[in-house]
Amino acid sequence: MRHEAAWHARISRVLSGALRVWGVPGTVTRDPDDPDGFVVAPNTGPAMRVRHHAPAGWTVTLRDPVSGAQAPLGHHAGLPGLLRRLREDLAPDAPAGRLVIGAQPLLGRDLGGR
Amino acid sequence: MAAVPVSVITGFLGSGKTTLLASLLRDPALARTAVIVNEFGAVGLDHLLVEASDEEIVSLNSGCVCCTVRGDLVRTAGDLLARRAVGAVAAFERIVIETTGLADPAPILQALMTDPALADALCLESVIATVDAVAGAATLDAHPESVKQAAVADRIVVTKTDLSDPAANGLADRLHAINPAAPQLTAVHGAVDAGRLFGGGLYDPAARGPDVRRWLAAETVPCDRPGPADHDHSGHDRADSRHDDAITSFCLSRRGPLRAVTLSLFLQVLAEHCGAGLLRLKGLVDVHESPGRPAVIHGVQHVFHPPAWLDAWPDDDRTTRIVVIALGLDPRWLEDLLDALDNEVAALQAAG
Repeated sequence: MRHEAAWHARISRVLSGALRVWGVPGTVTRDPDDPDGFVVAPNTGPAMRVRHHAPAGWTVTLRDPVSGAQAPLGHHAGLPGLLRRLREDLAPDAPAGRLVIGAQPLLGRDLGGR
Repeated sequence: MAAVPVSVITGFLGSGKTTLLASLLRDPALARTAVIVNEFGAVGLDHLLVEASDEEIVSLNSGCVCCTVRGDLVRTAGDLLARRAVGAVAAFERIVIETTGLADPAPILQALMTDPALADALCLESVIATVDAVAGAATLDAHPESVKQAAVADRIVVTKTDLSDPAANGLADRLHAINPAAPQLTAVHGAVDAGRLFGGGLYDPAARGPDVRRWLAAETVPCDRPGPADHDHSGHDRADSRHDDAITSFCLSRRGPLRAVTLSLFLQVLAEHCGAGLLRLKGLVDVHESPGRPAVIHGVQHVFHPPAWLDAWPDDDRTTRIVVIALGLDPRWLEDLLDALDNEVAALQAAG
């Protein structure tokens, strides 16, 4: 499936923005060999190829900078999983949190909160 | 029994928290207020300065609030509520927690939001930050904690305004840039209008219901503000870089409903990747699966209240508005992320 240019631009911004959040200098470009793919290239270390599968799935492969050999890293059902995979591989020391839903209702139990 | 509203007074060392509190406690309107103060160091100076009856003051004795908050604060608040229940203390109607000057208010708010024993009894009302009109700018320069305190506040009280004018010395503008949604009040010798200071929470006692517009104050926050200064990729470091340059306040707005799954995934991604930088998030969200009944969301870093579902929109504006106060986050990234997630969820749902 070939996506439109706006989709590529948005996903590229999401991925490059994620690199900045993790403090990883690098670039995100369209994959010249894959119309639905991206190359996430940190300034140091091997580049990762990210490929979209409709309707919502992503595969990540690692490309050896010397031999060009590719090693599959995983398949992810959506962007959240893709971003987690990239962070774990590219920025293993970046802070990682977890959403916590507290116990306290926003309005208070007897103030109309449900 | 109705939940007791809790306000947290934060502010850097010497910014006038205790003076403010002492003045407030002399106000008859706040007579039924219990106070939890913190002793920092061997001598409980804060405690000695507060004028109130002993039984309505509980002192945390184990140092900085933020380091002990999980145990001490929860235990202290619970004890206070238990003593009220048996009539051992006056039947207070409000709790005010004064933090130490060095405290990060986020763990305090999170402790109140997450403790199941307190969840039914307390309701987080507002965060009040004091900033010294004389030394405030220098404090913001030198101490990132003070920037964070101002950034997460619902109300900012500028103290010592008899000695320096915050409008003239630039402090007012600087605080507005850090936290445009928080009204700034001024205090001289701690004197401030208690009626304007409290009541910053979602619940409006006068209306006996939520006042989302006032609480969200989305109209005060830029919708398309450029990214934070530390995201300038020109390759040049700013010589005048300040702690508050990295703070951004912005409003993500969107017409048309968001799918519930999209909203959930968006918050999960933010919490996972940006938790520490996400100082506060408030939102009124048009949820696809709940037509006509918007959701109100509120989070402090990675900890959120369960969403509250309103019976109706507060006015004719059906726009989703998510107000974010963040450290080093680019609003355009969040907008792209939200759109990308929604597109992905839509594609999945369309595919069956």
